[in-house]
Amino acid sequence: MTARRLFQTGLPRRGFLQGAGAAGAMMLGGLPRGAMAQGSDTITMWTPGGSNLFCDIHTKILNDFTATRAALAGADMSCGFGDGGDYTQRLFGAIAARQVPDVSMLWDSPVSLGAQGAFMPLDAYMAASDKINVENWPGGLLASCQYQGVTYGLPVTAGVYSMWFNADMFAAKGISTDRADFPKTLDEMRRMSKEFTVWDGDRLVTAGFVPPRDTASAPVWASINGGRFYNAAESRYEIDSAQNIELYSFFLDWLNEEYRGDINLVDRSGHFDDGYVSNSTGLGPAFREGRLAMMSQGCWLMGDFWAEPEPSFTNWDLAHYPVGPSGSATASGVYPNWFVIPAGATNPDEAVAYLEYLATEGVVEWFRQIPDVPTNALVEAAPPEVIVNNRGEVYAQEVTAFLQELAGIVTPMWDSPVQNFGMDQITLAVEKIYTKTASVTDALAEAQRASQAELERVLSL
Amino acid sequence: MTALPTGTAKRRTPRNRGGGWIGKVMFHALMLGIAAIFLLPFWWMLISAFKNNADIFSLDITWWPDPVRWENVVALFTRPDFPFLRQFGNSVFYAGMVTLGTVLSCSVAAYSFACLRWKGRDAVFALTIGTLLIPAIVTFLPTYIVFARMGLVGTYWPLIAPAFLGEAFYIFMMRQFFLGVPRELIDAARLDGAAEFRIFWQIVLPQAQTALVVVALFSIVYTWHEFFGPLIYLNDRNDYPLSVGLFTFRTQRAVEWPITMMGSLFTALPLIVMFLFTRRLFREGLATSSLK
Amino acid sequence: MTSTPAPSLRRRRSGRSEALAGWLFALPWLVKLGLLTLLPLVATIAMGFMTMPITGMPRWVGMANYDQMFADPAFLKSAQNSLMFAFISVPIKLVLALGLALLLHRARALAGFYQTVFYLPFLMPAVAGSIVFILLLTPGAGPVNLALEGLGLDPPDWLRDPQAALWTLVLISIWPLGVETLVFLGGLQNIPKDVNEAAELDSPRSWHRLVWITMPLITPMILFNLVIGIISSFQIFVQALVIGGTEGQPAQSTLMFMVVIYRTAFRYFNLGYAAALSTMLFLAVLAVTVLVFWSARRWVHYEGDTT
Repeated sequence: MTARRLFQTGLPRRGFLQGAGAAGAMMLGGLPRGAMAQGSDTITMWTPGGSNLFCDIHTKILNDFTATRAALAGADMSCGFGDGGDYTQRLFGAIAARQVPDVSMLWDSPVSLGAQGAFMPLDAYMAASDKINVENWPGGLLASCQYQGVTYGLPVTAGVYSMWFNADMFAAKGISTDRADFPKTLDEMRRMSKEFTVWDGDRLVTAGFVPPRDTASAPVWASINGGRFYNAAESRYEIDSAQNIELYSFFLDWLNEEYRGDINLVDRSGHFDDGYVSNSTGLGPAFREGRLAMMSQGCWLMGDFWAEPEPSFTNWDLAHYPVGPSGSATASGVYPNWFVIPAGATNPDEAVAYLEYLATEGVVEWFRQIPDVPTNALVEAAPPEVIVNNRGEVYAQEVTAFLQELAGIVTPMWDSPVQNFGMDQITLAVEKIYTKTASVTDALAEAQRASQAELERVLSL
Repeated sequence: MTALPTGTAKRRTPRNRGGGWIGKVMFHALMLGIAAIFLLPFWWMLISAFKNNADIFSLDITWWPDPVRWENVVALFTRPDFPFLRQFGNSVFYAGMVTLGTVLSCSVAAYSFACLRWKGRDAVFALTIGTLLIPAIVTFLPTYIVFARMGLVGTYWPLIAPAFLGEAFYIFMMRQFFLGVPRELIDAARLDGAAEFRIFWQIVLPQAQTALVVVALFSIVYTWHEFFGPLIYLNDRNDYPLSVGLFTFRTQRAVEWPITMMGSLFTALPLIVMFLFTRRLFREGLATSSLK
Repeated sequence: MTSTPAPSLRRRRSGRSEALAGWLFALPWLVKLGLLTLLPLVATIAMGFMTMPITGMPRWVGMANYDQMFADPAFLKSAQNSLMFAFISVPIKLVLALGLALLLHRARALAGFYQTVFYLPFLMPAVAGSIVFILLLTPGAGPVNLALEGLGLDPPDWLRDPQAALWTLVLISIWPLGVETLVFLGGLQNIPKDVNEAAELDSPRSWHRLVWITMPLITPMILFNLVIGIISSFQIFVQALVIGGTEGQPAQSTLMFMVVIYRTAFRYFNLGYAAALSTMLFLAVLAVTVLVFWSARRWVHYEGDTT
């Protein structure tokens, strides 16, 4: 096929113009519909994505709500944009263009964007409501949406962090599988961990607990040692506080003692950080393979536990975080699904009504299918089906109650106006600590310096 | 310089490159070896697509999937998370529209630079070349804000409309081709009183058909891969072209390598088919454009 | 055919209408050049001197962003990474592409097959190419390390060793060298036959011919590939994001400049600083390219060029 046959000589000029016109018409007609300007009788909602199941559930909740509202003719749900970072971009663009949805779900803290005026303050609405009133939210949880006393969003449901343990492995070692008997202090847990750690040459076959590196849940560890990373009341970072230095020195010491001081060996032997397949090495989750006795994990794993790759056991259980050497009380953490009303939304009243509906009624259906724990005190939610089906109704009720108990002792987190920056700094510091390219003090000090500087920059905007 | 003895003119026989057929075999062995190295990633993609997670990461490296998991193909096309066919359609739409706009606009602009004389032409052309040096990210932020304030974020407009205005790389390429059109043809037509557009449409364009096809092919390939623009400007998962669909698919919670590989293969497949049919035209385009 | 006017009149009229047509034909491109290229460039440069909250007015801060930049470890590290990456990958790619082109030039049988093979990687999506390299380079489960060990070498941990991770990126960027190879091939095939024949008569040693005859004749291609290579190596983004994420793991060794710009704008919401970084990138690329073109006068030889 030569190019020659594609063109007949002497195409009339009209052909060119017709072609251009046709192209234009095709574009207008065939253009995939995007987020165009909405009328005020439609409520629009955006979510960052997740599985199709997730999207379907939320579309249904939104539609159910709309049916009960006389003022609304319809609902427009836009779902699935990619991971958190990409979604925030789009939201940010929409805000810049002043074409925002009425309600948006967020997987990034609303504090950073809220601090710059991107979202509507909700305090007045909350005060006027009996459903989303301040009293109905566990204290530490609401902190993740507040900046300098103003609330910019609601943490309608949350993935709750807790310790997970393999009851079968415990039983095999003669250790009590009762949740109340789970180690209460870090020292205790460290001693117990040794019982499970087995090496085969350079390969870690089984382990008790591997010192944590996850940044999202790091504030929990700081908290159980009596410290924290960010002090919201005084708008100050405390990354290199004495407690944090002590905490990470403890972890580093643990790594040296039990894991030969080489985190790379651990990583090559499997994925010991959480219950999922590693994104960087592709290795399977040691916990689900029955090779890890204890780990820190968010409760969303409950929905994925029985997915591929198939786990080798089913008797997992949850427990409280142990208390660190300088700490006095246990705590837990959350990774909320936040909901915000972007500034400039066309239907703020309807949006608030939707939040009320979602927080108290919509979440029931949501929780039934996906283990995101409803946080509003008014909610009576049945446990997720997946747990009922796999572990029985009794256990499902019991573990749900435990999760709600945990939600009540959440440590403040996600509350920095430079949240992403701070988290990246902490990730970097922890990496340096575990790979021994910097001392604990230096790594944390550097993270502190950079985060504090960035914080001050934003505060002076 | 070696002086040749007269009377013994050196025969123009094909030189023995290293001794007859042995040399040929060795040469091809080398080439095939290199080809194998280059094909390795491609091969790996192919076999990984037909394995499952466990097989891919098993410490027993297998060069052929065992068993061959044909169900992965079915899974790709029936998976609700990943509307492959829909995104494939979007890719075709996106690449097709951009290519259409590119071919139209760049040929027009190139004609102006190559065959028309006007004041400031060479300066503007130099500026055009200069824009090739501007990384996209530099122009991206303000462009994004402009489109955002126009309310066009979430649609394909920011991605397609600029293509109808031109693109420096292709203008450059087409200008080279147009420079090869004999001047006399154009001048004769002008003397005859023909309008410029007529000259462009009926004389120059047909002469540069190869150019048009090459630009079209390049544009299709580049746009098919184009990732950043659609990621930023599009909202709905259903609107994504394949290039973005793959990426977001990978960042969802647990990376499923086999199906990602399968998706990548099918993403590249139309391009490969297209390339096989039009191989020669690519090469011609490159050779001409690089002769500055 | 109407009566033709006097020659001088004809020239002037056709000159004017030609100029008008020139502007008209170039108009769409000029619009884009002005609005979507030059204007955003100027705007970006201006934004680099401001601080920009998401809602609210931007504020002029002079050199503050640039002061921050030169003290910012992420900037310094990513600049270093990007420069290293450019200076490593571009020459390697050029040399390999040239070598490959020379080999392809000699191939008679199977020439089409070989060309297709070397061009194929270019048709792969960048993300997929990066992912498959992760699979290939995974210690234990990937064949690359297996092969290297088989050769008696001690392969690095490509993805987790900070020293080696950059080389992973280099490999990924070299793999699709089909474009450069074909440019060189086109250049080689354009060398007129009589030049080749004369050369063969003069100096039978192929190495001699290569250096003194062939190379100078393909210098335009070298220039083209060099410039394109430099520009694209500074702009590497997707592959770096896939391999190292927004942190440039491991240990910021794969943190490329474009990734820093991206995360500064869209993860840290610091638009003014991101604009300053973008300006820096533009100036750097411009400087290097101007340098290359300036030096090109010395070593590039155009066939039939009298200047």
